[in-house]
Amino acid sequence: MFKKSQFIIFLVLILILFAFSIQGQKKTIVKYWLWLDDPTDPMFPDLVKQFNSLNPDIQVEYELIPLSQYYDKLVNAVGAGVAPDCARFKDWWLGAFVDANALEPLDSYLKNWNGYKDVVSNLWNTGKISAKSPVYMMPHQFITFYLYYRRDWFKEKNLPPPTDLSKFLEAAKKLTDPSKNRYGFGLRGGSGGQDQWLAFLVAQGARLVDRNGKVIADSPEAILANQWYIDLYRVHKVAPPSAPTDAYAQVLGAFQAGITAMMAHHVGSSVLVTQKLGEENVGVVPMPPSDPKKPATMVTMSGNVILSGSKNKEAAFKFISWLTEKEQMDKWSRSRQGQLPVLKSVASLPYYRNNIFFKVSLDQAKYAISWPPLPGVGYISAQLWQSLMQRALLGEITSKEMMEEIANALRKK
Amino acid sequence: MKKSEFFKYFFVFLWLTFILAPYIWIFITSIKSYDELYTFPLKYLPSKPTFEGYKLLIETTPFLTYMKNSIIVAIFTVTIALFVAILASYSFSRFNFKGKTPLSFVFLVTQMFPAILLAIPLFLLMRNLKILNTPFSLILAHSTFAVPFTTWMITGFLKSIPRELDEAAQIDGCTKLGVLRHIIIPLASPGIIAATIYIFIYSWNEFLYALTFTSDIKARTIPVGLHTFMGEYIIRWDLLTAGGIITGLPVIIFFMFIQRYLIKGLTKGAITG
Amino acid sequence: MLSERNSYFNKWEKRVLPFLLLLPAFTLIIGIVAYPIIRAIYLSFHSFNPLKPSIFKFVGLENYIRVLNDPIFIIALKNSIIWIVGVVFFQFLGGLLGAIILKQNFKGRAFVRGLSLIPWVTPSVLIAIMWIWMLDGNYGIINDILLKLGLISRYIPWLAQKDTSLPAVMIADIWRGIPFFAIMLLAAMEAIPDELYEAARIDGANSFMIFLNITWPLILPTVIITTMLRIIWTANHMDLVLIMTDGGPGFSSLIIPLMSYHTAYKQLNFGYGSTIAILQGVFLVIIISLYLRLLRKGESIY
Repeated sequence: MFKKSQFIIFLVLILILFAFSIQGQKKTIVKYWLWLDDPTDPMFPDLVKQFNSLNPDIQVEYELIPLSQYYDKLVNAVGAGVAPDCARFKDWWLGAFVDANALEPLDSYLKNWNGYKDVVSNLWNTGKISAKSPVYMMPHQFITFYLYYRRDWFKEKNLPPPTDLSKFLEAAKKLTDPSKNRYGFGLRGGSGGQDQWLAFLVAQGARLVDRNGKVIADSPEAILANQWYIDLYRVHKVAPPSAPTDAYAQVLGAFQAGITAMMAHHVGSSVLVTQKLGEENVGVVPMPPSDPKKPATMVTMSGNVILSGSKNKEAAFKFISWLTEKEQMDKWSRSRQGQLPVLKSVASLPYYRNNIFFKVSLDQAKYAISWPPLPGVGYISAQLWQSLMQRALLGEITSKEMMEEIANALRKK
Repeated sequence: MKKSEFFKYFFVFLWLTFILAPYIWIFITSIKSYDELYTFPLKYLPSKPTFEGYKLLIETTPFLTYMKNSIIVAIFTVTIALFVAILASYSFSRFNFKGKTPLSFVFLVTQMFPAILLAIPLFLLMRNLKILNTPFSLILAHSTFAVPFTTWMITGFLKSIPRELDEAAQIDGCTKLGVLRHIIIPLASPGIIAATIYIFIYSWNEFLYALTFTSDIKARTIPVGLHTFMGEYIIRWDLLTAGGIITGLPVIIFFMFIQRYLIKGLTKGAITG
Repeated sequence: MLSERNSYFNKWEKRVLPFLLLLPAFTLIIGIVAYPIIRAIYLSFHSFNPLKPSIFKFVGLENYIRVLNDPIFIIALKNSIIWIVGVVFFQFLGGLLGAIILKQNFKGRAFVRGLSLIPWVTPSVLIAIMWIWMLDGNYGIINDILLKLGLISRYIPWLAQKDTSLPAVMIADIWRGIPFFAIMLLAAMEAIPDELYEAARIDGANSFMIFLNITWPLILPTVIITTMLRIIWTANHMDLVLIMTDGGPGFSSLIIPLMSYHTAYKQLNFGYGSTIAILQGVFLVIIISLYLRLLRKGESIY
């Protein structure tokens, strides 16, 4: 069964493998982690090549990690003391990582960065943990939530575009017909649905924290706003029965298949949606508020951070700030990975102004609100919200109980 | 055709339907164009089948590299784990010694915890051994986690081989190790083949350690590679399904070849041995 | 002289060889897994967040007291029991039928045997998303077929309902695991000498009697061991649940390893997460020892 020759082949292979793993390097190596939406897109590898040839003394080595495991792997790496120098990062995670001193404050680097003023000023807040804190995450690509609606269906029923929440609910009810497997709104109760949910909360004027950073997620306004959202499913039944576990793929699929009439999402799905349904049939409005004078929506930012354990912070900053410069930003935003550019100079280019989806999204940036950067948000967005929302949608807990649990998690140090 | 023959083929057909139906659905999905993925009412067959997903998978992603790595890791894991497990199960099945039962239990205890909980310390261990980002880390981890189950499986098979056969051989002058080589292994070949399949597939599909110990595309295996096709706002169904179809092929073909050793068991051995 | 050497050699074979044979296995196991497991046990007495390695607090039995009073743990335990028993039982049943079918002589047997591995070799991420897709409440093929057959009157969101989410994931896992049982049992059946069957046939026994009196007793040791290994495996593998429902809706499909994972990685509470996992490990050890003890009456396993 085990011959000598096989054993020798085995030894030789081991030696060869060792030889591969030993390589000399003199350059400053910057390790960068990221996730990408589409691994076949050459945009990012090209950018890295370009950076490396522009900076012969720095060698950026990147690691592409599936998003579903990204957070776990980063936690593991920090815990084991082998974190990368810099990494792509979500605003949801800031609280937990800053609380653990795992991120480097960037203020001293940003002083000398000449793109600072070009970034939409409201968006710097997404990289801080309070109004006075230093910036920990360099804003890069973001999205704001707006509302898609089926223009053809609205026309058919003679409905006005859903520009505020009462029109939204009215239309949702009229367009729901379970016998035809049609529903007014694609509610997302499954993984990742917390952003859509928060957009509807803030659009009703509710907030999770007030201006001073005090948690008010269990205030009567917030409980009522959450009740309104739950009622879409439980009382008005304008969402598909599968809503409690529907995640992005299901919500998008249902909208594309002509099962739902409205979907709250962002520019990331605009190409897929129009491709499938035809541009003429897809309308878009800013996130409908309950009071048209007080518009609000939700922004989530993916930016770049430097890990505090890094020994090459200068070089790491050079790379992440280079990624945030105009040309690279434009390239990224136009790619298949593309989200909204944080730079005013990029956002004002005709490419973005002439695209209705980009335009609506970018116009919302001024008043968009992000998750409060508290340590508990990582847990809420990764797990807690989902199980609470699902139980609320199934009628196991009340809106009040749900919001109290959210508030507790936010208050937890 | 006789009635019993008909029933036989009928059951084979039922079995295959059950086993293959979801897989065929994956395949159909893999040749659908994106426009036809989400439709209501449901469309079963693509109107214009496309193999674009397979082409993109090979040309624009490092899938072949992943596959090469998976093959290397799986083959070495099978070799090491099988060797180690056969020795251990021979000891468990043919010797009486103190502490046998507790020792065999220790094997199992290693499997009683969710793998995710062991990820950080194992990661540190692999780092100290300086084998992160190489196939060794995976070969080592996969072998370790495959050995306990494999040992138990093979022990079960060895137990069913009558001891009289080894005794006869020993009287003929065979040493204990000689008995293992000349009598036990040939006779237990169905069990060993089954164990080989188990180890191979375990290593082939193992995801968590592959993700934790490798960061470089050069060392990545297929399951991790497939996960990268699911992004934040884009799921590349074409690549995922095409990748899933291709992933199974080498193992299935490999098994078609080795399955005939499944029957070279006691029947022949008992007569010649 | 020769016999003296032989007796020395015999002693060596009896006393040393068995341990020597176990040495490679134990080197691997102790070298690789012992430390992580001991560390997990150690962590369960502490409060530990991996992002803050400097704060490492001893809390004694606090985590254990907490877990036994945790209503979510009770839910997860209940789900885990349903999950393990249901999955393993149906995998075994399906695997046994499969093994009997694959044992027959028919044209293209090698091919069919190869194809039978498919559910097992398909990467779990793909199995999970494929079943999500097939079970989808809006455009899933399973709903479509059931509706056309008249078995349901409207689309059912299998994964979004409390009562159906766990069974739906179980079906996917049962499908995935049947080939494992089929191949193991097939191997055991193939190891049975043909002479036994021939003798029985000459005595005029029918197929069912042959199965009951010859095949079953001879494959029983494999059945017992395979089932036991599968119980352990199923208890700890949460990959399909994680991707298909992530324990939801609510806690309706939450099983213990998933709860441990959520606690450790999403709440960043590694101490408590370890405690949950260790408690399940302890339960498993007890159940497996009882299982082996009960069955040892009939057949000596070890």
